[in-house]
Amino acid sequence: MIEIQNVTKRYGSVYALRDVSLTVEKGTVLGLLGQNGAGKTTLLNILTGYLAPTSGRALLDGHDSLLEPEEAKRHLGYLPEQPPLYDEMTVQEYLAFAAELKGVKKSSIPAHIDEVMELCGLGAMRGRLLSHLSKGYRQRAGFAQALCGDPDILVLDEPTVGLDPKQITEIRGLIRTLGKGRTILFSSHILSEVQQLCDHVVILHEGAVKTAMALGEENDPDEITLQATVAAAEKSIVSRLRQLDGVRRVTVLPTAHSDQTMAQITFYKQPEPERRLFSLLSSLSIPLLELSRVQDSLEQVFLKAISDTM
Amino acid sequence: MGTIFKRDFLAYFRTPVGYAFMGVFLTLAGLIFYLSNLQSLSGDLLSFLAQLTSLCMLLCPLLTMRLLCEERQKRTDQLTLTAPVSLFKTVLGKYLAAAAVVLMTVAFANVFTLIIALYGTVYPGEWFVGFLGFTLQSLSFLALDLFVSCFAKNQMTGAVAGFGANFFLWMADLLAGKVGVPWLEKALNFVSLYDRYEPFLLGQFSYSSVLFFLTFIIVCLVAAVRVLDARRFSEGGAA
Repeated sequence: MIEIQNVTKRYGSVYALRDVSLTVEKGTVLGLLGQNGAGKTTLLNILTGYLAPTSGRALLDGHDSLLEPEEAKRHLGYLPEQPPLYDEMTVQEYLAFAAELKGVKKSSIPAHIDEVMELCGLGAMRGRLLSHLSKGYRQRAGFAQALCGDPDILVLDEPTVGLDPKQITEIRGLIRTLGKGRTILFSSHILSEVQQLCDHVVILHEGAVKTAMALGEENDPDEITLQATVAAAEKSIVSRLRQLDGVRRVTVLPTAHSDQTMAQITFYKQPEPERRLFSLLSSLSIPLLELSRVQDSLEQVFLKAISDTM
Repeated sequence: MGTIFKRDFLAYFRTPVGYAFMGVFLTLAGLIFYLSNLQSLSGDLLSFLAQLTSLCMLLCPLLTMRLLCEERQKRTDQLTLTAPVSLFKTVLGKYLAAAAVVLMTVAFANVFTLIIALYGTVYPGEWFVGFLGFTLQSLSFLALDLFVSCFAKNQMTGAVAGFGANFFLWMADLLAGKVGVPWLEKALNFVSLYDRYEPFLLGQFSYSSVLFFLTFIIVCLVAAVRVLDARRFSEGGAA
């Protein structure tokens, strides 16, 4: 379990983080979203004890990463933004070093790193010097390092940056597999990735938490939006829609056909607003070609969150 | 600590640094040996050791510059500093790795003792005291350089600063004679590494000097840990 409590990080008069609090329950995956420079990396560095917060504290499984570093870090695997690789070591040596550092028993290290290499697809590269690896493999080696010691908590800073599409899919698959039973906090600025992998999302903007929510709760709970395509010209239908009971607003979307209208109709929260729309259209004898509920996408939530302060 | 020591020690010999240190040290030591002992047909081991100090001063920063600065530059410190190992053990492991390279080099330098023994006499007591003093002094330079390199982001800066610090402490006693301020004179005399080394060069075993060197090393290492610890509060802006 990860708890970040009121963490503030200040450099002189510049705030990198402002009173950030978040919790990641055991067995869940939390995605930390934010633009470049939003403070994601600083937050992860504080969580892992690499940096100290100006105020507030970060707990890993209940241990303060600053005051009880050895207990806190025992169950931590951290993949920093730039994988911390020693260029003069081979993949195998490096992982053995990382495993030993994390307190894996000497006798079980060879089997352990074999497993980790297998998991990260590094088997063929075990004898290669880290300096000779391509960017994708360096990222995997960094990932493998984080998995050494089989940590309960994984902190990953933009784990898929610099990988090709196939590798990205593989790493995402890995995160999904590992997510079962572990606590994972990862940062990203790729929205679809977060949507695929996470149970919860926290949006960080200018050093402060803007939005924290479980995925699937992106919608404004007070309204429901329908998207409908009807076989009628825009002029004849839009004003009628606006007058419909319980409608908050109507947005017309462009269509390819002049005799059709596509619109998003937002209702105040009510059960089955589709019924109202249908009765209106049938009373006007306008055929309904398509009807669906609109889910607010993460993208809209994100853009809304980061534009609030502008 | 053992893990860090092993990695850093091996890294010296995976990169040219370890070889460069030993090679340059022993080559130049050979040159000094040729000039001061072979040319003048002298069997004086202690005067030879006295001249090796400058080599140590020059080369020790080479060993320490990579321990912290390179890790910081390449951000590999994010692995060691987020592992369940205390900062002190990390620093100690790194220091011992560099110390091991120095000890190996000093051991190799006994080739010169052997040459003197072949053609003259080496007094075991003199040999022991001389090499003990030399080793302690070298290890003190190393600890000082490690501490100084904490302040540098760049390996080059770390090395140059280390050399400056070495040089200052070595000639502190010369400065002490000129300042004319009594307390400053005392302070400078106290920290002068040369003053502490001198008894050994005269063939005397000085408990106070041994104690001073050991304390000096510990103080430097603890200070290094403090600086690294404090840096977590002051640094780490957008990477």
